[in-house]
Amino acid sequence: MIGYLLRRVLHALLTLVVAVALVFIAMRALPGNPLLARFGQHPDAKQMEQLKREYGWDQPVVVQLGQFFWRIVTTGDLGRSIARTNVSVTRELRQRIPATIELTGAALLLAIPLGVAAGSAAAVWRNRWPDRLAMAASLVGVSIPVFFLGIVLRSVLTGLPTSQRLPPWVLDFEPLTGLYLLDTLLRGRLDLFGLAAEHLLLPAVVLSTVPMAVIARITRSSMLEVLSADFIRTARAKGAGLWRVVLRHALPGAAVPVTNIAGLQIGLLLSGAVLTETVFDWPGLGQYLANAVVRDKDYVAVQAASIVIAAMFVSLNLVLDVVYVWLDPRIRLR
Amino acid sequence: MLAASCAALLVLAPGCGCTSRPAGTTGGAGGGTLIYAQPEDPATLDPINTDIAEAVHVITNLFDTLVTYDDKTTELAPALAERWEHTEDGLAWTFHLRRGVMFHDGTPLDSQAVKVSLERLILPEHPLVFDKARPYQSSYNMIRAIETPDEHTVVLKLHQPSAILLVNLAMFPASILSPAALAKHGAGFAEHPVGTGPFQFVKWVRDQQLVTAAFDQHWRGRPKIDNIVWVPVKENATRVQRLARGEVHVAENLTPIEMDSLAKNPRLVVQEELGMNVAYLTMQMEKPPLDNPKVRRAIYMAIDKQALIQVGYGGHAEAAVTMVPPAMWGHVGELDVPPFDPAGGKKLLAEAAAEGGFALPLELTLAVMNQARPYLQQPAAIAGYMKDALREIGIEATVVQRDVNQHFEALMGGRHELGLAGWNSDNSDPDNFLYALLDPDNISDAGNNLSRYNSPRFHELMLAGRQELDVDKRLAIYREAQQLVAQDLPVVPLVHTKLRAAHARELKGFHLHPTGLIRLRTAYFEASP
Repeated sequence: MIGYLLRRVLHALLTLVVAVALVFIAMRALPGNPLLARFGQHPDAKQMEQLKREYGWDQPVVVQLGQFFWRIVTTGDLGRSIARTNVSVTRELRQRIPATIELTGAALLLAIPLGVAAGSAAAVWRNRWPDRLAMAASLVGVSIPVFFLGIVLRSVLTGLPTSQRLPPWVLDFEPLTGLYLLDTLLRGRLDLFGLAAEHLLLPAVVLSTVPMAVIARITRSSMLEVLSADFIRTARAKGAGLWRVVLRHALPGAAVPVTNIAGLQIGLLLSGAVLTETVFDWPGLGQYLANAVVRDKDYVAVQAASIVIAAMFVSLNLVLDVVYVWLDPRIRLR
Repeated sequence: MLAASCAALLVLAPGCGCTSRPAGTTGGAGGGTLIYAQPEDPATLDPINTDIAEAVHVITNLFDTLVTYDDKTTELAPALAERWEHTEDGLAWTFHLRRGVMFHDGTPLDSQAVKVSLERLILPEHPLVFDKARPYQSSYNMIRAIETPDEHTVVLKLHQPSAILLVNLAMFPASILSPAALAKHGAGFAEHPVGTGPFQFVKWVRDQQLVTAAFDQHWRGRPKIDNIVWVPVKENATRVQRLARGEVHVAENLTPIEMDSLAKNPRLVVQEELGMNVAYLTMQMEKPPLDNPKVRRAIYMAIDKQALIQVGYGGHAEAAVTMVPPAMWGHVGELDVPPFDPAGGKKLLAEAAAEGGFALPLELTLAVMNQARPYLQQPAAIAGYMKDALREIGIEATVVQRDVNQHFEALMGGRHELGLAGWNSDNSDPDNFLYALLDPDNISDAGNNLSRYNSPRFHELMLAGRQELDVDKRLAIYREAQQLVAQDLPVVPLVHTKLRAAHARELKGFHLHPTGLIRLRTAYFEASP
C-alpha cells in the first residue's frame, strides 16, 4: 500500500509541474503586457522598461521558468501580484479559496444526492415517466452553458441575491475561516447565516447542474447493470422489498463508477466556478483567475492560482484512487 | 431537478427571503450608508500608482489636493492651499497652507507632508515609493524642487514657466498623504490610505467591500453620509438589477439603453452632464495610403456623426468638430472641417486611388476594444457603423477586436490603420487633449499620439501654450492649433459623450462633475416621507 501511494504521489507531483510549466509558458506567449493594467492610458516607456527588467521579463522564458520553480522550492513563496503590487498572492489565495470551497461544496451537496436519487429512480422505473423526466432534465442540465443558466435564473428568480456573499450594508462581520455559513454560526450571527445562505443559493444551484446531470446519467446506467445481475434477482426472489434491494444491494454495487465520475466532477466544478463566480461576483478562486487572465494579465496571480487548482485536482484524484480500493477490494494495488 | 435543488438548499437557509432590508438608508436625513457599485475593485489606493477610474473615485473622497475644482464647474478653487502666488518669471510658486487641517490619523497637515507627497510623485527614486509604476509622473516634470521655508508654506521651483501646474496639482495623483501613515504602513499604504479627505478608510475586503466613513474633523465640515461602501459588481446587468432593487444606491458606466430603462423607474434618477471627453477615429498616418490627406479627408466625409450618436450612444452625445470638448475652455466650435458627404468622399477616394496607385475597394483594418469605455459605450455597435459608413466610399474595413489594454498597446505601437479611441480629461486643460493626443513628443510605443501626427508647427504651438501664463494668449495658441488639426485631419473627432449616472431618488446633493470626478462630500439621504 505504501509503495503504491508513494508512486501515486510522485506521479501527481510530476503532473503538477508539467501543468504549471504549461501555464507559465502560455501566459507569456499570449499577446499583451501585464504592466498595462497598471499604467492604463498613461504608459511611461522608461518606467515600463525598468519594471520589465526588474521582473526579469527580458530573460529567456526557460530561465524565467527555472527561477520560478527554484524560488518555489527554496522559499515556498508564490510571489507578489503584478497588478496589485506588493500584495502577496498567497494571502490573496488564502482569502479566496474558502469562498470557492463553500460554493463547490454547496453545489456538490446538491448534485450528489439529487443526481443519485434521480438516476436511481430512472433505473427503477426504466422507460416510464420518471425515467424520461430525469433523463430529459439531465440532458438539459449537461447541455446548458453554466453562464447562460446563471443569467436566466438571475432574471427569473428576481427575489434572490445575485451578487457577492453578503449584502454590502453588513459592515460588522469578521469572517474566521472564510466559509461564511460556518463563520456566521461561529460568530453567533444567525441573521447573517440566512443572508449568507440566500446569497449562496443561486450560484450553487447553477454550478450544480452539470455534475448533477452527469451523476444522474451514470447512476442510471450503472444501476441498470446491477439491477439485472443475478444476486438482485435472488434477493427479490427471497422476498426482499424493491426499495430495500435498491438501497441495500444495488446502490453499493453501482457506487464505484458513480464515485469515479463524482470525483472527476469535483475537479470540473473548479473550472465551472470560473464562469459561475464571474456571473455572480463570487469572490473566489475562479473569479480571481478570470480577472488575472482577462483583465490584468497578471502572470504571478495566474501561476499561483493554477498551481492551487492543479494541486486540488491532482490530490483529489489521489484520494479517489484510495477510495476505490476501499470501495472495491477487487481493484488491485499495482 | 432544478426546483428540487432550490428547495433542498432553501432547507439549509432559514430566514431566507425575509431580510431584504433596503440598502443603507438607516437613520433619517444626514446619516446612512451609501452603497456605490463599480464594475471593478480598485487595484491600489495609493494616488501615485493608478489611472483606473474605480480607484480614482475612492481616492478622490479620501484625499485632498492643494488646489481643487469648484463643486460644480472646472474653475479652480483653494483646498489645502488657502492661497498661492508666483514670481514674475513664473519659475517659483508659493502655496500658503490652510491651518488646522488634520489627517485621518490625527497628525496635522504641514509643509513637510506636501513635500513628501509631491516628491514621491516626481523623484526618480524615493524611499517611500513602493510601486514604481507612476502613470502620471510626466504631468509633474516641470517641478524642479520643493522647498519648505516654514511649516505652512511650500515653494515649488520649476524648470520652466508652466500654465498647467495648477490644474495638474488639482489632479488626484497630487493628493497630499500623511507621512506618518506612509512610514507606518510602508508598502501596505496602498491598502491603508490616510489623507485629509472628507471620508476616511475603514476596511477593505478585496473584491467584496471597501468601506470608508465620514471624517469628523474634515476642514470643510463632516460629510452628511456616515459610510460609503464601494462594491465591485462586474456585469452591467447585475448593476442595473441591484440598483432597481434598491440594493445599491449609485451605478454608472452603463450603456445608453440600460440608463434609459433605469430612467423610467420612479424610484431612481438618472443624472446627465456633458463630460470632458472625446471619442475619435485615429488614422495611422505613417501607413500609406493614410499618409495621403485626400484619403483622410474622404474618410472624414464618410462619417455621419449624428447617425453615430443614435447608433452608438442612444442620442446621449454631441458631435465633435475638434478634440477639445465643448465643456472645456479653449474649445473652438467653428472650424472649417469637411462636411458629411459620402458621394464627395467616394469621388475624393477614387481620385486619390488613381494618383496613389492603390486599388478600390481599399482594404483597411479598424481596431476596436472589447470593453466599453465612457466615451465608447458600445464599441461593437460603433465599429459596425463605421464599417458600413466606410463601405459607402469604397473602403472595406476589417474590424479587429482586442482587450482594452492590448488595444491601446497596439495603437500606441502604431500597429493599426484605423482605430477607435478616446480620452477623458485629466485636468480640464486643453493641453491635456491637444498635447497628449497629437504632439510629436508622444509618438512612441507608449505615447498617445496614435495617429503619429508629426507637425513641427503644432509642436511649436504646444510648447508655447504650456509656458504661456496669459490666458488670452493661450487661447489664441490653442485656436491656431485646432485650426491646424482641422486642416491636416490626423484624426476624425467623433463625439463628446454625456456622463450619466443612475442613483436612488432619495440620494441628494450628489452631482456629476464635468471632470468625471465622483465627490460624495455633499451627498445626503433625504428622509422618506
